[in-house]
Amino acid sequence: MSAIVAEGLVKHFDEVRAVDGIDLDIPAGAIFGFLGANGSGKTTTIRMLTTLLRPTAGTARVDGLDIIRDARAVRRRIGVALQEAGLDHIQTGRELLTLQARLFGLRGSTLRDRVAELLAVVDLEAAADRAVGGYSGGMKRRLDLAAALVHRPSIIFLDEPTTGLDPVSREGIWRYVSQLSSEEGITIFLTTQYLEEADRLAHDLAIIDAGRIIARGSPAEMKASIGTDVVTVRIEGPDAALEHAAAVAAGIAGVERVQTADGCAVMYVPDGARAVARIVLAFDEAGLAVGDVSIARPSLDDVFLQATGQHLQVDAPGAAPSS
Amino acid sequence: MQTAATIFFLTMRALREALRQPAGEVANIFIPLFFFAVTVGSIGRIAGDAFAIDNFTGFQMPVAMLSAASSAAAGAGLGTVTDIQRGYFDKLLLTPAPRPAIVFGRITADGVRALIMTAVILAVGLVVGAGLEAGVAGALVLFAGAFVFGMGYSSFNAAIALKTGSPQAAAAGNLFFFPLIFLSTAFAPKEVFAGWLEFLATINPITYILEAQRSLVLEGWDGLALLRGGAAILGFGMISFTLTFMALRGRTA
Repeated sequence: MSAIVAEGLVKHFDEVRAVDGIDLDIPAGAIFGFLGANGSGKTTTIRMLTTLLRPTAGTARVDGLDIIRDARAVRRRIGVALQEAGLDHIQTGRELLTLQARLFGLRGSTLRDRVAELLAVVDLEAAADRAVGGYSGGMKRRLDLAAALVHRPSIIFLDEPTTGLDPVSREGIWRYVSQLSSEEGITIFLTTQYLEEADRLAHDLAIIDAGRIIARGSPAEMKASIGTDVVTVRIEGPDAALEHAAAVAAGIAGVERVQTADGCAVMYVPDGARAVARIVLAFDEAGLAVGDVSIARPSLDDVFLQATGQHLQVDAPGAAPSS
Repeated sequence: MQTAATIFFLTMRALREALRQPAGEVANIFIPLFFFAVTVGSIGRIAGDAFAIDNFTGFQMPVAMLSAASSAAAGAGLGTVTDIQRGYFDKLLLTPAPRPAIVFGRITADGVRALIMTAVILAVGLVVGAGLEAGVAGALVLFAGAFVFGMGYSSFNAAIALKTGSPQAAAAGNLFFFPLIFLSTAFAPKEVFAGWLEFLATINPITYILEAQRSLVLEGWDGLALLRGGAAILGFGMISFTLTFMALRGRTA
């Protein structure tokens, strides 16, 4: 059964086509990763699917309900933690969860028990009666996640849930998300710009660029689709040297494809270990100054590079390298 | 039922927020009382000869009440902008609560704060000799008027906040009150105004709200004054509520 289905979803802001015809079919219980750079259309998509924005065109159903006609019913079935932890800094953590629970119709002991349970799950019992304004970034994210879970939703939307968090806090959020999927069977729609996050959490993945989905599959399928090793050679010197390197690489036996990005020539070859000596020698003979050389199995970054022609820029502290 | 419950829960949240930031509430009540004291102190002695007003303290008390109510009404605008900027407004919109009720929680809280400030000013006014000819029932009418006026003006500020999402714009919305109060009969009766000012005061709804309040303070029960004042408050409120609904729809379109 499909938890989320979208057909031709479009959102325009004046002349800007933020989302430009997206189709989705996400099975119930899956963790779906939506990977893209800043401004690619991830957040706009999530805001349409969660009824915060009306699509310019197209349709979508969440848990079988139309996002426009059945918007309020959709909101009862989903939990949402948006990019910036949307919290009231003056309330305490307990008050915030209590208010959230009340707005979802919980009352009495059911409400109190659920709030206490969630505070324990996200490890905020000790800070529950302090004002949210004094929480750390990681604590705010955990509280935001708890607020999204207060009514036991069947689908959760997480918009870049670990952006700006330190590695320890990020690890904690990943653990909660994995538990929600494996232990409670909740469908999770996760947008991220972190390759490691997508690789580690997502069962199924889509790469979005300029408002369009340009690649789709499981992380393993995506990496396997490249089918070759990736040899990356940094070329010292001006841009012209990089272009020359690309031309030279294209003529090397065994090199199936060449791309250039961030001062490097990126070559896709069936057997990287054997090919690397040949590549370096060819560059040397061509008078190119070779810097760092690396050989790797394809990563999601390589998938992203192949699909978009550029690396995914990650700017958060503690971001781990992609696998 | 869900609408009423949502408004109640969010009203309580906004009032709790006000209690946790008492400095703002002290300023909201202190400034109208300060101007009340200064105006009565500076003009009170000559008001009888100049304007034929015997009880200038009672004449000025409604001005302080309206000023306090308008200050209280800033809460929804500034609070809504803060919620929007922190992303908490989206969090509320993502609940199944009726969306107008989400906005009206803060607006209702402002009405309650306006009522409380009016009660404080009435107490101070009675102590300094303003009097209240309409008695306890008149006080209840003053409180009801403050509550509805506070909500109406608060809704106007909320509409600006929802439309712009800007704290500067939300704060500027509250300044709208100052020209209205100065172009009304706040400090003197219309009869002593220049022609152009008399015209502007005649078309200014604040004039009729003040006259209704003053009728309760100075005369007792004047049905026509109360009817005009009530109509001004309700008319202003309906326009403000309409603007708020339109701004809310625009924000979620």
